[in-house]
Parts: sequence; C-alpha cells; structure tokens
Amino acid sequence: MARTEQQSTERYGGRWFWRYASPAAFFPLAGRIERLCWAVAAVLGVLGLYLGLFRAPVDAQQGEVYRVIFIHVPAAWMAMIIYLAMAFWSLLGLWLGTRLSFMMSRALAPTGALMTLIALWTGAFWGRPTWGTYWVWDAKLTSFLILFFLYVGYIALAEAFDDVRKGDRASALIALVGAINVPIIYFAAVWWNSLHQGPSVVKQGGPSIAPIMLWAMLTMTFAFWAWCIAAAMHRVRSVIIERERNAVWMKPVVRGQAERERT
Amino acid sequence: MIWDSWTAFFDMGGRGYYVWMSFGFTALVLAAEGLLLRQRRAGAEAANDRAEEQGDDR
Amino acid sequence: MSLFAAAGAVFRREIRLFARRKSDWANPLMFFLIVCSLFPFAVGSEAERLRTIGIGVIFVGALLAAMLALPRLFDEDARDGSLELLLTSPEPLAGLILARVAALALALASALACVAPLFALFYALPAEVALTLAWAVLVAVPTLLLIGAIAAALLVSARGGAILTAVLVLPLAIPTLVFGAGAAQRVLYGESPLAELALQAAFLLLALALCPLAASAALKISTE
Repeated sequence: MARTEQQSTERYGGRWFWRYASPAAFFPLAGRIERLCWAVAAVLGVLGLYLGLFRAPVDAQQGEVYRVIFIHVPAAWMAMIIYLAMAFWSLLGLWLGTRLSFMMSRALAPTGALMTLIALWTGAFWGRPTWGTYWVWDAKLTSFLILFFLYVGYIALAEAFDDVRKGDRASALIALVGAINVPIIYFAAVWWNSLHQGPSVVKQGGPSIAPIMLWAMLTMTFAFWAWCIAAAMHRVRSVIIERERNAVWMKPVVRGQAERERT
Repeated sequence: MIWDSWTAFFDMGGRGYYVWMSFGFTALVLAAEGLLLRQRRAGAEAANDRAEEQGDDR
Repeated sequence: MSLFAAAGAVFRREIRLFARRKSDWANPLMFFLIVCSLFPFAVGSEAERLRTIGIGVIFVGALLAAMLALPRLFDEDARDGSLELLLTSPEPLAGLILARVAALALALASALACVAPLFALFYALPAEVALTLAWAVLVAVPTLLLIGAIAAALLVSARGGAILTAVLVLPLAIPTLVFGAGAAQRVLYGESPLAELALQAAFLLLALALCPLAASAALKISTE
C-alpha cells in the first residue's frame, strides 16, 4: 500500500487531489474519512438528540410534536444534497471516464433513498397531528415522492446490467436526466397545486425560532451529514473490494483490514 | 432539563405516538443501513477469500 | 448522403413498417380502449363521478399505452442487426433516433388523439373538453416517447427492460401530465387552456432538443 501511494505521488507530482481518483490511493483515505465521520455522527447525534429532546423548549404553536423537525429537516436536506452529489459524480464519470466517480455515485444512492424515505415518513407523522392528515398532495411532498422514485429507478437500472461498466454509465446518464428534471417536476407540482386549490400547509413556524432549537437542528444536520458521508465511504470501499478483487494492491490491504477488524 | 418526569418525556404532551413513530422509524432505517453495509462488506470479503483460495487470478 | 436524407429514409422506413404491421400501433390503442373502459366498472357509472375522473383516466391511459410501444423503438432492430447499421452510419445518431421517434409519435400520438375525444364523451365530458384533451394527448405522447427513447436505448439488452422502462420514464412524464390534464380541466371550468397548452408545448420542445442527444449517448453505452 505504501508503495502504491508513493508511486502515484511520483506519477501525479504535487497534484495531490487527482491522485485520489485511483481506487488504490482512495481506499485508505476513504477508510480514514469513514472512521472520522462515524465518530462525528455519533457525538453530534447524541448531542443533537440531547439538545432537541431535553433542552429545546416546547413550540408555542405546534406543541411537542415539532421535535420531529430535528430529524425531518436534516433528512430532507440530505435527500436532496445526495441526489446532487450523485449527479455530480455521474457527470464527472461520464466526462472524464474515472472509475471511482461511478463507484461514488453508486455508493451514495442507497443512502439517498433511505434519507428520502425518512423525510417522507417523518413528514407524514408530523403532518397528522399538525395538519390533521398523514399525506397531502402538496408540491414539496409530491416532489419528494418523485425523488424517491428517481432513486429507486437509478438503483434498479444500475443493477440491471451484467456488465458493471455498462451499468455504471447507464445509471450515470439517468442520474443526469433526473437532475435536469427535478426542478421541472417541482415547478409542475407547484403549478398543479395552485390549479387544484390544494391546501398549502407546509409553512414553517415563522421567524421566532428559539436559539436552542436552531442549535439542535444545526447539530442534527451535521450529524446526518457525517452519517451519510460515513455510510457512503463504507459502501464505496465495499464496491472497490468487489471490483478490484484481482488487483495486486488489493490483497494485503483487505487482509490487513479484515485482521484489524477481527482483533 | 425541561421534563418533570420520564413519563412526561415519553408522553410528549400527548403526541408521543407521532414523535416516537418518527424517531423510531429513523432509528430503524439507520440500523438497517448499518446492517446492509456490514452484509455487503462481508459478502465482498468472502468472495475475495474464495477467489484467493482458488488461486483465481483472472 | 446528408443528415436530412438519412433521417428521411429512416422515417419513411418506419412509417412503411407501421403500415405493414398494424399490431405495432393497434395493440397499444386496444390497450388504451380497454383501460379506459375498466374504470366505470370500478367507480360506478354516475355521470357526475365519471366527469371528475375522466380527464385523468384518459390521460394516464394514453401515457401507459405509449409506454407499451417503447420497446418497439430499438428491441427488434437489436435482434435482427439493423441497429448496428444505424450505429455505424456516418450521420449523427441523434438525428436518426429523432426520425424513428418522430415516426412512432406520428403513428401513435395521432391514433391516441383520435380516440381520446371518443372516450371523453363516454366519460360525460363536454365536446370542447374532448377537443382540448385530444390536443393535449397529441403533445404529451411525443414528449413521453422522447423521454422514453432514452430509457429504451439504455435497456436494449438489459434484463427486465419493459418494467424498468416504466419505472424510469413515468416519473419524468409528470410535468406533461400535469399541464395536459390541467388544460382539459381548465376548459371544464370554463377557462382558457392556453397557458397550460403552451407550457406543455414548451416541454415538448425541450424534450425535442435534449432527448435525442441523451438517447444517442444511451444507445452507445448499451451497445458498446
């Protein structure tokens, strides 16, 4: 491993960033990022839950149920950000032909789908006591449902090919098509909503949010960020192990890592 | 600490069902993701070991 | 041979095929007719209720019927090898794909748009709504086929292609569904449908500009 890192330093000179486009160089880095992010997610998660559940005061309008916001909003943000990240890596992969970009894209998708699911579910259980219904065909909710379909379509397409490279590029193309369509779908949903006089319910609690609430939300947001990065890094390392099985650099790395984890 | 008792905490001002369904589901999904991650890694490593035992250097 | 001549040749070939094998466009049409006749059995036959759901049922039925025709775009040609000829042609692939989609759209969209007003009457909708619905279907079906061409091109050789095409394409067809059905709805309320029809046309133009390029990239990925 040390030799590989050294070799790639020689080959790419001082441009340290591009060095990590090689799975061999990226694998140990991803491991370090992953460990850091699990730790950050655990610490911030506990802190955020403490602030959100034990310190933040009750909301004047919504009562205690507003506390769902501390997971709902971070999950919703991550659902959108991960789709953008997926589209970004897909574009990079199609443009530069870097294998690792496709792997990143694929590693992000399941986490993004789960975040969308969390956002939808918590939204429903927040909406029931607050607006009296689990589901409304509101522009935001509808867009998230469609975002979930886009994630599912991406994953299904990526798995539909026996040839890994074909699956990579095909799903990358669909991720880009989806990314172009997301704003159009949102716009259409807003228009459609105004046409059918749907209840415009999703209005946040106004500007008078207590600072402690804001802190709890920020902490939880960073905890979700860290979780998603850690999960994606873990998954991308699995993908690298699956795909680079026969690379010479891989054998000592994986064996060494497996031993470390066993002890 | 804003709660008088643990009962009050779990009751969440009468909205306990909704709050805990949300937090519980989130915990479940995150746990499931952790499990899936582990499974996938184990599968990848097992395939790796098999390939090595067979001396498969395709 | 210029691009226009090549695209024209592809277009004429497709149209000739449609003229010979009527099942290619007749089967989706039959599917549309049957789907639309199922709903009254499910919800009851009162005119008031049929009128509320009619526009949506007819529109979604038309889109699903168009979905069924998508595998026809590339699958058979991939089997008999003529897809290779298309790929090795010196003309830009996007132009040739556009010609094929245009032929399919012409055959299918016009057929569906002719039948849709008929069903509008079955669903107790006034005649002017039926006419708007026909226009909206005429614009929406080509849009769906253009988006669908990307998925069809990607899934030429993949497992479970047909169902996966639906999963990929239908969410992306929501904007044209919203505005197409919205236009007919406006007429039902006695308002002008022009804004919705114009937006729907804008989506068609956007799809015309982008989808053939994406579909040609997709075809190159799946057949490499």
